[in-house]
Amino acid sequence: MKELPAATDEQDRLLVKRCLEGQPDGPIGLVDRYHKRLFNVALRMLGDVQDAEDVTQTVFFNAFDKLRSYDPKYRFFSWIYRMTVNESLNLLKRKKRTVTLEDIVAIKAPGPDHDAEVNDLVGRALMELKPNDRAVVVLSHFASFSYQEIADMLDIPVQTVKSRLHEAREKLRRKI
Amino acid sequence: MNREEFDIIRREFDGSNSPEESASFRSLMEREPSPHLKQAILEAMPRQTRSFNPLYALIGGFMNRKTMILGGAVVLAAAIFIAGKVTGWPPSGDKAGTIGGVEPAARYKGRTMTEADVTIKNPEIQTLFQNEQVLNLVKSDAFREAMRNQQFRELMASDAYRQIMASDAYRQIAASDAYRSLQASDAYRQLESSAAFRQLAAQGAFRQIAASDASRQVNASDANRQAINASDAARQLQASDAYRQIANSDAFRQLQASDAFRSLQQNDAFRSLQSSDAFRELQANDAFRQLQASDAFRSLQSSDAFRSLQASDAFRSLSRSSELSDVFMREAMRSQQ
Repeated sequence: MKELPAATDEQDRLLVKRCLEGQPDGPIGLVDRYHKRLFNVALRMLGDVQDAEDVTQTVFFNAFDKLRSYDPKYRFFSWIYRMTVNESLNLLKRKKRTVTLEDIVAIKAPGPDHDAEVNDLVGRALMELKPNDRAVVVLSHFASFSYQEIADMLDIPVQTVKSRLHEAREKLRRKI
Repeated sequence: MNREEFDIIRREFDGSNSPEESASFRSLMEREPSPHLKQAILEAMPRQTRSFNPLYALIGGFMNRKTMILGGAVVLAAAIFIAGKVTGWPPSGDKAGTIGGVEPAARYKGRTMTEADVTIKNPEIQTLFQNEQVLNLVKSDAFREAMRNQQFRELMASDAYRQIMASDAYRQIAASDAYRSLQASDAYRQLESSAAFRQLAAQGAFRQIAASDASRQVNASDANRQAINASDAARQLQASDAYRQIANSDAFRQLQASDAFRSLQQNDAFRSLQSSDAFRELQANDAFRQLQASDAFRSLQSSDAFRSLQASDAFRSLSRSSELSDVFMREAMRSQQ
């Protein structure tokens, strides 16, 4: 996943402004910029390609729905990542089922065999974590957010982020 | 996976990767979404890109729920087909013992036995009429009313209905465990009996969507899904209170999450039925819409006895034969007298 460029906040603000002005390059720019990142976060949370794509679509729709109420003092990408994690957690709750190892197979679908092998290893390990712990791992290791940013997104104390991450890493180390 | 890649993964979770190595880890783990995803997102919000339209936001929920809504209609329709099978409609005209009159009970009073009556000895028929619930059902006001419903008769006499009933796809669906399980679920019953569902199904916009070419091919491509979502009919539908009530209801969510519903959605026969011309015509049929809205039919559908009948092996066997359905219907008529 590409690192977020330094000028991200300013570029996002510009794109949001373009959206609110009704200019087509606004939403196109935001979708172009974030759809792949959000898809990957959702995929790691859900372990299913189709579900991840559905969540990505829903997040964009919801984001545009609420764009007028979006407070620009917050970072746009934090806001939209938060929506992605929450939407993924909600989907997991709605399903009310444990994701089985067979479900992880879906992660392998888009890539060649080599990539599938790598993702299979990590994907299986991730899906054995509790969803809340998984969210912390995904935001930290797959989206490179800081403890404070993760705490803000998930609305939990920084100390909780650290403890969840510590526990989750222990489990992942044992699995991998 | 080579050794170096494995080490990067392992060290990432050890917390010992450098920033550059962490970036390599993320690059290694990154997956490409479907090439259609970006286009799907953008195409579903054309109004948004031109001017900010609050209604646009509603499409969001529709995107992922659309198929489910349509699927719900299919399931509802399938229940109606089964009911039609029980009652023996549509009349086949030249076939002895077929039922098609407005006053069926009177028509068959005192009628002489035909060759078809011999099939009363059929074990499935006998099993059904030995079942107290079935007897109670055929004697019920709801059953009687449904049979006398003008829209019901029109529907069952339509070519679309005949074609669907003759299709392998329908038979497979009616016989599938997923369909039976779904119909027996509380969530489905709640949804189906809700006023919101009824209102939604009765809307002209809903019928436009159901009858559209895109809807017919809804499982075939993302482009068709987008075409539906971009349509005025879809927007009207999503703007309705009924749609929002359904989409936000616990029953609908439970239904979506159920294994039976997912299984049915993935069923080839279900998809085949949904994409057929006959089904499309049926969805656009006025009689079908009015029937769905009728109290008599809803009452019939929601009765335990009717569901029990639908779920029985004897009925499933019977429903595959028009002759046996006719015999069953005649016996039902006699029971009502």
